[in-house]
Amino acid sequence: MIQTILDALSYGGLYGLAALGIGLVFGVMRLVNFAHGELIAIGAYLFIVTIDLGLPLSILIAVTGTAILALLMEFSVFKRLRLAGPAVLLIASFGVSVFLQRFYEIIFGALPLSGQIAPWMTGVIEFGDTTITRGSIVTIVLALILLGGMWFFIEKTTLGLQIRAASSDFQTARLLGVRSNRVIGAAFVFSGVLAAAVAFVLVTQRGSVDPLFGVNITILALVGTVIGGLGSLQGAALGGFAVGATISLLNSFLGNYRVYTYTWLFILVIIVLLVRPGGLISNKAVKERV
Amino acid sequence: MTLLTVRDLQSGYGKVQVLYNGHIDVEPGELVGIVGPNGAGKSTFLGTLAGSVRASSGSIDFDGASIKGKNPEDIVRLGLAMVPEGRAIFTDLTVNENLRLGLTGRREKSGAQQAVDEVMDLFPVLTTHKNHQAGLLSGGQQQQLAIARALVSEPKLLLLDEPSLGLSPTVIQDVFGVLARIQERGTAIIVVEQRAHLVMSIAVRTLVMREGHIRATLSQSDAQDEAKLAAAYFGTGEDRE
Ligand SMILES: Nc1ncnc2c1ncn2[C@@H]1O[C@H](COP(=O)(O)OP(=O)(O)O)[C@@H](O)[C@H]1O
Ligand SMILES: [Mg+2]
Repeated sequence: MIQTILDALSYGGLYGLAALGIGLVFGVMRLVNFAHGELIAIGAYLFIVTIDLGLPLSILIAVTGTAILALLMEFSVFKRLRLAGPAVLLIASFGVSVFLQRFYEIIFGALPLSGQIAPWMTGVIEFGDTTITRGSIVTIVLALILLGGMWFFIEKTTLGLQIRAASSDFQTARLLGVRSNRVIGAAFVFSGVLAAAVAFVLVTQRGSVDPLFGVNITILALVGTVIGGLGSLQGAALGGFAVGATISLLNSFLGNYRVYTYTWLFILVIIVLLVRPGGLISNKAVKERV
Repeated sequence: MTLLTVRDLQSGYGKVQVLYNGHIDVEPGELVGIVGPNGAGKSTFLGTLAGSVRASSGSIDFDGASIKGKNPEDIVRLGLAMVPEGRAIFTDLTVNENLRLGLTGRREKSGAQQAVDEVMDLFPVLTTHKNHQAGLLSGGQQQQLAIARALVSEPKLLLLDEPSLGLSPTVIQDVFGVLARIQERGTAIIVVEQRAHLVMSIAVRTLVMREGHIRATLSQSDAQDEAKLAAAYFGTGEDRE
């Protein structure tokens, strides 16, 4: 029972981090970035190939590398599409996503690359007759730290304030002096950092990475950002959390019938969207624009 | 030295041209009006000056340098700030956060606190609502916040797009009353209004726009002349240029 709750919290936290990364970029540039999954994948590859350097260095390389790839996406593709509409951006991000998947295939091969980057996370802790997995505790703590850190950055710093302003009205923010390239760049960097954190948790769970490593969680996190209300960062984190926690709970309650987890998930998603079409936390700025 | 000199300015959206012959001169500390019916291109003209609408040809010289083709975020740092139509305050942010965003456009980061204090002095009501969500303010208060937010960057030229929009007559008096005090600080102002009388009584010159053209420039004394005004505004009779 305790394990079920911890699993739900850790899954929720993990999906919340993924959704927040997607939501940050969506907020400032109305881009639904499908290639977020390939950021998660590069993070995972970097963790595995640098494993022999020791965890601290491995984390440093994976986080930096993922953030750099995120910035590279922005500079090489999205920056050139500033005046394009959301549909063009969406298709472009699809293109980047598929390109990177093929690129990983060429560099790392199509088969899974395995490695144990943090074996201690797979162990269990025993309290009398209840045992809980270390991984779930570490994930919850990591998610709390990162969500808290992001909250602080967004709510309390000047750059965070500029990101909030740009997310609600980019045009006016620029008139006031907010540098568009700077806030967009910052959003990409942070989405890269969050993707690396997600990669860390996923790769310790799965023990391997392949070119399509990040696809699944990205699609589900996108569902989360929609449920949470596109354009609201709390909404994105909350929606991602809800999706992750629901998947985890469905998995444990359905037991042998867990093949139906996603069926039930999407039934719930549709119900939520029918009741609240704008998402849990709806955002005026987005509604006006669409 | 003339603060703003605009000649033969053309602009629009995509392939649609909206502004055909934008021209204006503003001396330091002057208040110049622009009037004209809905859809005349007034907002487009201001937006082109502020950098949010791209100029296709013509010249914009501000404070001794060309600003044509520059980004809005650079133009505001040179001392040209705009309060867009409909105020465009960030309703989800607090009054204080809105003002802090205005500080982004300052050339020098020093003196920021003093600039905020001065603006609070101009609009005391903002002090009381400092930590409230800006969306909870009344229309008039929101307009004051929008002006205050532009002023904390200490612009040399302030562009106001229809500040009276949606405000009651007494509130309009309050807002317009402050313009004289802003001028006293040495700040020049361009005010766009559909309500011609409102701005013509306080402006040294008023341009009349129609269908993307500046059709007339009226002096303060012309403003008292109903016939001249109507002719320029509605395009009856001859254009005065
Ligand atoms: N963002 C825009 N995209 C396309 N057309 C626009 C846009 N903004 C204004 N227009 C068009 O430009 C013309 C002038 O509009 P505007 O400058 O807002 O006039 P005014 O401020 O005098 O009412 C109108 O025909 C309007 O439809
Ligand atoms: Mg207008």
